[in-house]
Amino acid sequence: MLLRGAAGRGVSWRGVLTNLGRGVGVTLCALLVLVPALVAADLVRVRPLHRDGQIFVSFELTDAFSEEMRAAIRSGLPTTFSYDVELRRAIRFWFDSTVASTTVAASVQYDNLTRRYHLSRTQDGRVDTSEVVDNEETARDTMTTFDRLPLFSATPLEANSEYYLHVDVRTRPHNGWFAWPWSRATASGSAKFTFIP
Amino acid sequence: MSPTVRSAKPPFGAHAGSSRPPFRDDPRLILVGIALLLAALAAMVVLAERSAELSPDFLSGAVLYALTAADLTMLVALAFVLARNVVKLLVERRRALPFARFRAKLVAAMLGLTLIPAVLVLIVGSELIRNSADRWFNAPVDDVLTSANAVASGYYHDRQLTVSEHAGRIAGSLAAVDLAASDVGPVRDLISTEVTEGRVELVQVYRVVAESDDGRLDVVPVVDVATSSLPQADAPVSADRLASRVLAGSAESWTVEPLAAGGDLVRAAALVTGPDGGVPLGVVVVSSHLTGDVADHSRRITQAYEAYSQLRVLQRPLQGVYLSFFLMVTLLILVSATWMGVYIAKRIMRPVHLLSDGARALEAGQLDHRIEPETADEFGSLVEAFNSMAGGLAVSQRKLERSQADLRRKNVEVEGRRRYIETILERIATGVVSIDADGTVGTVNRAASRLLGLSEAAVGRPASEVFDRIDLRPMGALLKSLPAAHDPSAREVALERDGKAIYLAVAATTLQRAGAGEGGGGAVMVFDDVTPLIRAQRVATWRDVARRLAHEIRNPLTPIQLCAERLRRHFSTAPPQARALVEECSGTIVGEVESLKALVDEFSQFARMPAPRTVPVDLHALLDDALHLYDGLFDDVTIDRAFAPQVPAVRADPEQLRRVVINLVDNAIEVLRGAATGGAANNGDGGLVAVGTAHSTADGVVRITVADNGPGIPPGDRDKLFMPYYSTKQRGSGLGLAIVRRIIVEHGGNIEVSDNGDRGSTFTVELPCSA
Repeated sequence: MLLRGAAGRGVSWRGVLTNLGRGVGVTLCALLVLVPALVAADLVRVRPLHRDGQIFVSFELTDAFSEEMRAAIRSGLPTTFSYDVELRRAIRFWFDSTVASTTVAASVQYDNLTRRYHLSRTQDGRVDTSEVVDNEETARDTMTTFDRLPLFSATPLEANSEYYLHVDVRTRPHNGWFAWPWSRATASGSAKFTFIP
Repeated sequence: MSPTVRSAKPPFGAHAGSSRPPFRDDPRLILVGIALLLAALAAMVVLAERSAELSPDFLSGAVLYALTAADLTMLVALAFVLARNVVKLLVERRRALPFARFRAKLVAAMLGLTLIPAVLVLIVGSELIRNSADRWFNAPVDDVLTSANAVASGYYHDRQLTVSEHAGRIAGSLAAVDLAASDVGPVRDLISTEVTEGRVELVQVYRVVAESDDGRLDVVPVVDVATSSLPQADAPVSADRLASRVLAGSAESWTVEPLAAGGDLVRAAALVTGPDGGVPLGVVVVSSHLTGDVADHSRRITQAYEAYSQLRVLQRPLQGVYLSFFLMVTLLILVSATWMGVYIAKRIMRPVHLLSDGARALEAGQLDHRIEPETADEFGSLVEAFNSMAGGLAVSQRKLERSQADLRRKNVEVEGRRRYIETILERIATGVVSIDADGTVGTVNRAASRLLGLSEAAVGRPASEVFDRIDLRPMGALLKSLPAAHDPSAREVALERDGKAIYLAVAATTLQRAGAGEGGGGAVMVFDDVTPLIRAQRVATWRDVARRLAHEIRNPLTPIQLCAERLRRHFSTAPPQARALVEECSGTIVGEVESLKALVDEFSQFARMPAPRTVPVDLHALLDDALHLYDGLFDDVTIDRAFAPQVPAVRADPEQLRRVVINLVDNAIEVLRGAATGGAANNGDGGLVAVGTAHSTADGVVRITVADNGPGIPPGDRDKLFMPYYSTKQRGSGLGLAIVRRIIVEHGGNIEVSDNGDRGSTFTVELPCSA
């Protein structure tokens, strides 16, 4: 059966279905690519610093304490911000190589009875600090602002080479209808630098 | 008998060479698959029931991820199954495989039957979940829980402020006391007032000391005062940690610690500094005990609030979890329905396909093709019926083949018999003419062709047309007069061929053939040339007549002759006139009697012809000897010899054969001379008698021809020439040629007369070769 278009050109059902299927396929592919990219918007400010053979990393997650996040924290849910920090080297026309990587996590649990925030920071599962604070600002800073963390050694880096730091942030608990299994990062950020010994 | 072919080849997608049956044919695997499916459904039911016991964080995290992954997997599986079926349908339709449409329709029907209710359940369930969730988090509950939590936390906060205030006040009062003194009495007195007056339940005083090795400050307990109602627990340990943290400058100057005996201990620490306000001298930790009921209620209020708040925060992921449950069940139903449709279609199509293949195999002649029954249901019965039918066909085919073999053998036999009969018909001297049912001439054998003068062109022509020829009309009349019944009709028919009469003994009968009507099977005529027999019969008759005639005539002739001679002697003395009369009459009587005697002698000789005493005879020598008698006798007649170079000897009686030759030559000469006397013209060439010989190897005869160039013999007289008492001569007895024929016949030969070209006659004598 043919559909007669406005211009009088014959369009077959098979052609319509083919185009429809092709459109659906393109849309799905676009969603698969774009959704994680849109979700992982560039909301992390990253600053590298080289000193004493160490790569110190400072990063700050902006706009992380939304009302939903504050409500989640105030509900007493253990809330964790996990920062996957990778030191990478860009390779032209190929995948970037990862020189080193680590995971820094900041967790908070609010005690509604005592109105205090129990905070802790870990690196690769190892507890670095733990404290209890009354102030939400302090808790937010602890969760989102990391200053000069000596995360990587500068030994494997080549002098005068271009590197960049990439930080992916994952938050828990999840707060959406749909858990996209392949979308891990909710925010990310990068910063390039030239390693000068 | 070829071995039976059992077909159990799976029609689609099965591995013929694999020993393992495909999944759909392995009941254990099917049961395991169904069990896994049911287990998955049961697990989902259990998980849904216990979802309230799981932490919302776990539900919104791991469970939601797992369900989402499972849903996507199911969706991919469904898409794969559908796409696979669509692709297979297209491929099978392109390859024109059977039952592709049926399978597509069955799968579509199963999918359509389940799709609509499943999607409806999904929509209704999702709406129910959303509406229920909205009702869970309504305003009254929210207000109550928030207010209760505010009350509980406010109470704790107030108590913390109070304890901190007491700690600061006590620390200020302890600044003037030497905490390092060995006598702790003043310190105890100072803090005991706070305890005894009931403002706090426990006051602990620490003194700051410097570590000996690295100079770091630390606290050591100095004195503590507690009310007697305070439960003894591990409070000192936590107080030590709090004092150390305060000394270290931590902002965490108070804690709430649950006691094992019940209740909470609200603690606050304050740094005791020196008068100058800068050097830390000690730390005072003040604790206030909240009883168990208050603490328990407060905690339960907080826990309820937090649980409620967490549910509200995780409302969407929790809804997602339950929607994922519904979606998973829906997808499970759809995948199961699709797979079940494919499975049922295959289960249905497999025996049907096998039957179709089997039917094609039977059509191709593979009657030993059988189908292995796989089930005991109606399809199994159908397969058994097919196999039974194939067996019956095979048996019938074998019977048919045997019948065909018998038929071929009989055909060969009939063909051989036909050729045998045909050969006989061609070789025998009996003429046979068959008339087909449609009235056309079917067969004319060689003898019939010779006797009736029919060519091969007569075959296929209507018998009425063939036998309408003037000389064959008696035969046609016989055919027309045949009775309808197949009783033979025998008759003697005389035909005139080339001026000669031939006599045929004809037997005609109608043929009865299956399926033909009365008299519709045609007819057959069988006839023999009985002309020699007729002639022999006539000769025999004449011989008998001659013998009787000679006997009856000879007897009175002698007395007549004696009487006549006696009369002549008696009247010898009579007067001359009377004597002359008597002489004349008696002479006449005696002469006629002599003539009659000569005639009687010839008759007697004809009747008493002795049997020939045959010996091998050199024909040319005999002919030369016989013809030598005529040398110089006739000036007006020339006797020519035209002998064939190689003529075999014949067995004959030389005297009788010489008589034959002389008789024929005499007749020829007499005819020529008679013709010359009568004025018949010989064209001025004179009389010529040509005597020749010839040898016919094919017929096995030697021919002697005596030809003259006389006036010839009319065709109507030729057959009568050889009859006794028939003569064209005035003085002939009419027995010469009759005797000649008799001699030739008794030698096994034949004599015929024919025209000698355009003038004269030719007598042809055929004698069998002696070899």
